[in-house]
Amino acid sequence: MDITRREFLKYTAASSAFMAIGGPLAFAASKDQTVDHWVKGVCRFCGTGCGVMVGVKNKKVVTVKGDPNNHNAGFLCLKGALMTPIIYAKERITEPLIRKNGKLVPATWDEALNLTASKFKEAIKKYGPTSVAYYGSGQALTEETYLASKIFKAGLKCNNVEGNPRLCMASAVGGYVTTYGKDEPCGSYDDINAATCFFIIGSNTSECHPIIFKKIAARKQADPNVKVIVVDPRKTNTARIADIHVSFKPGTDLAILNAMAYVIIEEELDNYRFHSKYVNFMDNQKNKRTFEDYKKFLEDYTPEKVEKISGVPAETIRKIAKIFAESSATMSLWTMGINQRIRGVWANNLISNLHLLTGHIGKPGATPFSLTGQPNACGGVRDTGGLSHLLPAGRLIKKREHRNEMEELWGLPKDSLNPKPGYHTVALFKALGEGKIKALLILCTNPAQSLPNVNKYRKAMARKDNFIALIECFRDAETVKFADVVFPAAFWCEREGVYGCSERRYSLIGKAIDPPGKCRPTVNILVDLAVRMGVDPKLVPFKNSADVWDEWRKVARPTPYNFWGITRERLRKESGIRWPCPTEDHPGTRIRYVRGEDPNIPKDYKHKYFFYGKPDGKAVIWFRPYKGPAEAPDKDYPFVLTTGRVIDHWHTGTMTMKVPELRRSFPNAYVEINEKDAKKMGIQNGDRVLLETRRDKMVFPARVSDVCRPGLVFVPWFDVNLMINKLTKDAFDPGSKQPEFKICAVRIKKV
Amino acid sequence: MKLGFLGATEGGRIGKWPIIILAGMVIAVVAFLTYINVAFPRVKCEYAKHLKSPDTASDCYACHLKATPKVAQDWYESKHGVMLVKCFVCHGQPDGKGSVPYAVNPDVNTTCRKCHDPSIKKMEKKYGLKLECNSCHPFHQNSIHHKAYVKPVAKRKI
Ligand code: SF4
Repeated sequence: MDITRREFLKYTAASSAFMAIGGPLAFAASKDQTVDHWVKGVCRFCGTGCGVMVGVKNKKVVTVKGDPNNHNAGFLCLKGALMTPIIYAKERITEPLIRKNGKLVPATWDEALNLTASKFKEAIKKYGPTSVAYYGSGQALTEETYLASKIFKAGLKCNNVEGNPRLCMASAVGGYVTTYGKDEPCGSYDDINAATCFFIIGSNTSECHPIIFKKIAARKQADPNVKVIVVDPRKTNTARIADIHVSFKPGTDLAILNAMAYVIIEEELDNYRFHSKYVNFMDNQKNKRTFEDYKKFLEDYTPEKVEKISGVPAETIRKIAKIFAESSATMSLWTMGINQRIRGVWANNLISNLHLLTGHIGKPGATPFSLTGQPNACGGVRDTGGLSHLLPAGRLIKKREHRNEMEELWGLPKDSLNPKPGYHTVALFKALGEGKIKALLILCTNPAQSLPNVNKYRKAMARKDNFIALIECFRDAETVKFADVVFPAAFWCEREGVYGCSERRYSLIGKAIDPPGKCRPTVNILVDLAVRMGVDPKLVPFKNSADVWDEWRKVARPTPYNFWGITRERLRKESGIRWPCPTEDHPGTRIRYVRGEDPNIPKDYKHKYFFYGKPDGKAVIWFRPYKGPAEAPDKDYPFVLTTGRVIDHWHTGTMTMKVPELRRSFPNAYVEINEKDAKKMGIQNGDRVLLETRRDKMVFPARVSDVCRPGLVFVPWFDVNLMINKLTKDAFDPGSKQPEFKICAVRIKKV
Repeated sequence: MKLGFLGATEGGRIGKWPIIILAGMVIAVVAFLTYINVAFPRVKCEYAKHLKSPDTASDCYACHLKATPKVAQDWYESKHGVMLVKCFVCHGQPDGKGSVPYAVNPDVNTTCRKCHDPSIKKMEKKYGLKLECNSCHPFHQNSIHHKAYVKPVAKRKI
């Protein structure tokens, strides 16, 4: 400690002096934070899924702290620690609202439900079941998404069931399914404590998954030999703990990943025994190929060639490839930088390729690990099949045997489910704009701010001839402006339910307090609505989320998602359990696809690894060529625009903007510009800068720093007043249908 | 009430001594504060200003980098700095209207326990109740034993 005693005294003296003036004020604000009892829950924000303890006094939430028994071992990041004011925000919607003469006015539950049900019924009668749709969220409870998806797919025979995970996780799903045959990561957070090399690409872990970053930093602190490689065109806070930060031309990551594979083979660092036994090589046309073919394919990606494409020195590519392969256990982590791309699935495949080539998989610390953005995108939407091409637990709508299986489980006549997948998100909102969707139910998400190229889809939502019902908590959410009916929902710990985070972990949010006003739990709203829409009441015999949970357990049981052992009682006692978990005495699964770890593999299975999602039990190394972004910078629009989060805010800011500290920490969006570019254009901190893409233009205050590389600008997307999604592009991955939020061309000008 | 107690005499007229004493006290306090302000210009938290422009009230670091560069730098290099546990997470807001109480020295029970409850419990068990964590684990300099956080990349420009 090198602060001197004198300095320390000075500091203390001054602080107490000012405490004296600030005294009355500070005391007025210091709330009594003693607590009557604690209720176990999960953080409302990111996909890290930290356990929280909610402190209740006099039936009010007064504070939160980390759950010591969950994976976060008591720690919370700043958003998690400060979230109490959101519950009591003055913007809470506490009664049903109906739009009359252009204005939302209070109504009774009956009025709102009947109106919505009649609009849906009318649309289905006139235009058929594909004229209605549901748009859900990775923040809804698992039970809510399962139920909504069942109501639409089984009850209304409508497969237009989508959700915002299409915008954030679809490419990761595509990547896992094409490589391993089954969705969801094979490893878990436990791997962080065993890894000796972290390969972080397309993720600002420090700001978007702060507690995972904390774990990585703690791991590095415990063992200085641990290497951290951060590959990102921005030098974010995550790069502060990096041994190597690799900056590259945005959109060239596929080439870099292939070049790493090239180096690994060239240096003979591949694990031949592993990949010759457990891996198939396949080209882009799904033809089986050989290892020799793969080598030939990679000849286009020598580090020297890729240096020209990506701007990364060949030496650096060699170095990171060697560190990746030579470490005893490498863990890759990635998020939206890889997923939100027109070739997001391929990028996901290429990361897995490196792991399969080196055998860095299925051993403690060695795993390709995709991070989710939302608290319940994995457990809620991916697992329950809350997308337009899925059925619960990894089943697909287009496979007849899967449909038949679900028909039996749901008690429906054989072949009665609609065999045609519904619209994916971008197509859904496009169809809304074309008048093909007549009635839309939106739950717990804010598409009027979060869709790419949002002007276009706001116009779609504004059409007079469609009906939009919204289940929402906050009246200032942008989408409320477009709603014809708003149902007030119980928020977060005002009802009980399950969240499933990035590592296949299901944890329960306990009910801590009663919802305000006339708010109701979403499960009850959905059941009520379904019955009024004419859905067979036998399909929705649920009184609360616990009933839905039990059915969902049953539905997943015959699949590799099997979590029969995760009963409600267990969830109430334990702080999260990872599936597969077939029996009540099973502790949950750390590592999948490995004999002895994964309960889906017989104990006496003859091999160590079994990728049971694939017909021959082998994972796939894909030959995926390099493909640039949909809209590369050019003469007219010479810069690349990328978007993302800041640690203080989450998604569209409807929640974090209600926390005084967080709001004031980042009151508005800004554009981050590299200092060299700024100098050239005479831009200084705080100057007003006009950003213009082919879709729209907007003025932002500038923040000049060395975070972005030259040629790149960054704007966070939380700000409703400076809505950057009006500028982003809605091109999407043809496989996963996930839009390319991360890259578009922009020109900038000081104004 | 208070004024009545100090200044009222029989018959409701105000005597002059209490006023002089009161005035003297006020002058003394003002003088002391002025002295502090002049003598230690680097370490004052001009929170009154923040109240006028509440929009930037939570960007403590920006000002403290100039006002108290040592404290700001210590935080930046510390674990809390690397993890972006920003000033307001523990200190609240100068106007006291945040979700944690405003405090120069955050209260261990309400603030530190939000994240460090398990370790505090461990220490309590070992050493009895000892809530002065700061004396052994200086909040802002927690990187001193932990060289791993002070990575070359943090300082070097790439
Ligand atoms: S890391 Fe994510 S889940 Fe954990 S406290 Fe922060 S926002 Fe919540």
